[in-house]
Amino acid sequence: MVSRRSFRYAPRPVTGRETTLDTLAVGDDAEVTAVQGPGGIAVRLLEMGFVAGTRVRLVKVAPLGDPLELRIRGYHLSLRRAEAAHVRVRR
Amino acid sequence: MSDSILRVALAGNPNVGKTSLFNVLTGSRHRVGNYSGVTVECLEGELSRRLRGDGPPMRLIDLPGIYSLSPTSEDERAAYELLAGEQRPDVVLLVIDASNLARNLYLALQLLELGVPLVLALNMVDVARDAGLQVEPRELADELGVPVIPTVARSGEGAEAIVEAVRRAGAAAGAEPVLVPPGPDDEALREALEGLGSLPPVRARTVLLGHLAGVAGPGEPGRWLDGQPAERMRAAAEQLVSARYRRVDAILERLGVRERMSREAPAMSRSERIDRVLTHRVLGLLIFVAVMAFVFVSIFSWADPVMGLIEDAFGWLSGLVSDVLGPGLLTSLVTDGLIAGVGNVVVFVPQIALLFLFIGLLEDSGYLARAAFLLDRLMSRLGLHGRAFIPLLSGYACAIPAILGTRTISSVKDRLVTILMIPFMSCSARLPIYTLVIGALFVSHEPVFSTGIDQGLVLLGMYLLSTVSALAMGFVYKRTILASPTPPLVLELPPYRLPRVRDTLLMVIDRVGDFLRGAGTVILACTVVLWALLSFPADRTGAGEGGPTRVAQSYGGKLAQGLEPALEPIGQDWRVGVGIIGSFAAREVLVSTLGLVYGMEADDDDPAELRQALREQVDPDTGEPQHTPLSGLALMVFFVYACQCMSTLAVVRRETGGWRWPAFMFVSMTGLAYVAALLVFQGGRLLGLG
Ligand SMILES: Nc1nc2c(ncn2[C@@H]2O[C@H](COP(=O)(O)OP(=O)(O)OP(=O)(O)O)[C@@H](O)[C@H]2O)c(=O)[nH]1
Repeated sequence: MVSRRSFRYAPRPVTGRETTLDTLAVGDDAEVTAVQGPGGIAVRLLEMGFVAGTRVRLVKVAPLGDPLELRIRGYHLSLRRAEAAHVRVRR
Repeated sequence: MSDSILRVALAGNPNVGKTSLFNVLTGSRHRVGNYSGVTVECLEGELSRRLRGDGPPMRLIDLPGIYSLSPTSEDERAAYELLAGEQRPDVVLLVIDASNLARNLYLALQLLELGVPLVLALNMVDVARDAGLQVEPRELADELGVPVIPTVARSGEGAEAIVEAVRRAGAAAGAEPVLVPPGPDDEALREALEGLGSLPPVRARTVLLGHLAGVAGPGEPGRWLDGQPAERMRAAAEQLVSARYRRVDAILERLGVRERMSREAPAMSRSERIDRVLTHRVLGLLIFVAVMAFVFVSIFSWADPVMGLIEDAFGWLSGLVSDVLGPGLLTSLVTDGLIAGVGNVVVFVPQIALLFLFIGLLEDSGYLARAAFLLDRLMSRLGLHGRAFIPLLSGYACAIPAILGTRTISSVKDRLVTILMIPFMSCSARLPIYTLVIGALFVSHEPVFSTGIDQGLVLLGMYLLSTVSALAMGFVYKRTILASPTPPLVLELPPYRLPRVRDTLLMVIDRVGDFLRGAGTVILACTVVLWALLSFPADRTGAGEGGPTRVAQSYGGKLAQGLEPALEPIGQDWRVGVGIIGSFAAREVLVSTLGLVYGMEADDDDPAELRQALREQVDPDTGEPQHTPLSGLALMVFFVYACQCMSTLAVVRRETGGWRWPAFMFVSMTGLAYVAALLVFQGGRLLGLG
């Protein structure tokens, strides 16, 4: 049996120096504060290392404007902007 | 555990050198096994004789690369089921990248939770050593409580020690699960684990993450979670993952490499410099186009001479057999049925081998991930992963290798969408048909530009039509029968590495062998059936060579004549009908089958005679030419859409594990082809063309 139900979620407003990962500029370093978004993506992001307190850097934007290249936990990972928008960070 | 063979599964993150280590351990004898249906394929092989020595045999299974055991993607679900299910292996050999422990150890913790006998291969110690990132294997082993063996899979260093450690782990009594406990502040997690207390602790953790992802762990859904506040359970899941990563960091801290490991993987700083060019805004795209052009042109042109040689060789063999056996039905069966059938299979090998050689080299070097990075924007518009691009492009050369190439796409539905799109791409086998029809019928006395340019434009039109149709069909399938959300990208960009030719060649051999076994038999059988259709009823004299009347009286000929009422509205007659039936063996056979129907010695290289015959044939009722540019256009459009290729269907059956999808493909494509040809012919007539 596979339950297809997933959690509903309401994005919290972004406040203060907090922002989302997709709004960083190339070369910016930031610290992850929370992961939001639909459950499937949230679990994926968490397990790839986006847990609160982790440093992340926006390395590059793909030539067509999307996706992004990020560095986290010593490796490079590519996320689409839409996915990166689920990661809240503090500069 | 029915026998004394030790079953060992190789697990690990993608790109840590699992397959390289597998090759080192097994030598070269392996086969591609299929687990859990169509999605996941695993290599399987026996321990090489050299490493085995006098010890008991060992069977190794190479699992797909995974980042975690939470069942959130198909690969991970399959890996979880294999590692934790009924047929769990005796020992799990986890391969980790010594230069990138900060991420790799997460999976190690999950395997420890599972409580399977575990041996760690600390691979790529050469890379770590060069970067001064020494990790003492003994210290890591003490931290984790499992044996840790340093290896360099590329050179085979450490293989003997691995075999020894795995044997010892297999002989020991099973392992106890080692759980990461909730931290002092992780109240939500504590509460959730208590609520799920009826499940074994490992299962509770899997279910918690699986439930948040919308897929409960296999077997038992966590009913209790349904009643809980969503935000609370979300926090619990977050705390679980955080606790595991805290444990990873604590281990790295004690090994004295935490700072360095979380900064930059040593191999990445060079890669970043390479990427300044290869994923550069302008240069990156230009280089990508150049690489793809190179791959594409080589599949098109390098394979061609080899395919010619193969065809010649089989032709020579046929000639030899008919000389020895003399004319007769048996000879015909052997030459036109069996030998031609084997030839029809083998002829694909050069293209398949070339495509996989390129895919293998691109993948191993790390460029394939960059290609997906560059192209994802375009492919995600369709709803597909950037990885679908290369198989689709290869479809222009030949659908067979292209369909086999979709194995790099991990979502089943997206893989099916791509497989269904590929046969719409105009493959190289359609080219002889286009050139025959264009050469025969598009020779106007008043060309718009010049005859050459006009003909070129018609040809270009066919390629455009096929491309647009493939994209449109993909768009439709992705939103209807195979609807699924665009898969998240979450794509690792691994460090660039020099590919290893030996490993790539092994992979090419695996793929080719897989094709010959899996699809070859069906192709052979179809060739014989088609031969029978066009050869029976045999004439009593038993003359070996077919002729126009003989074909007309064959079952195939009768079938085509019966189909004439359906062929007429699309501007064709029964002769072309025979060609269409015959060309099911392979599209380019249309030319030789038509040659047979028109009673001439088929000569693929110079079908001038055939062009003449097509041009001059008149409709017996009206006295008008039977074939016009309009009917020619309708025929070409038919071939743009029709799935006139038994080999494609055979490969799709092999890849999807049944006849359902090939049947769907054949029926839908033939239907579409007929409707499109009908629209062209009837529409053209309404407009007063033809
Ligand atoms: N320097 C070095 N390179 C290695 C070592 N082991 C593997 N490689 C290289 O790393 C790359 C990836 O190796 P694979 O064996 O394909 O990795 P994998 O884990 O099977 O990857 P997936 O098939 O994507 O799961 C290849 O280019 C290998 O040649 C090693 O110990 N040292």
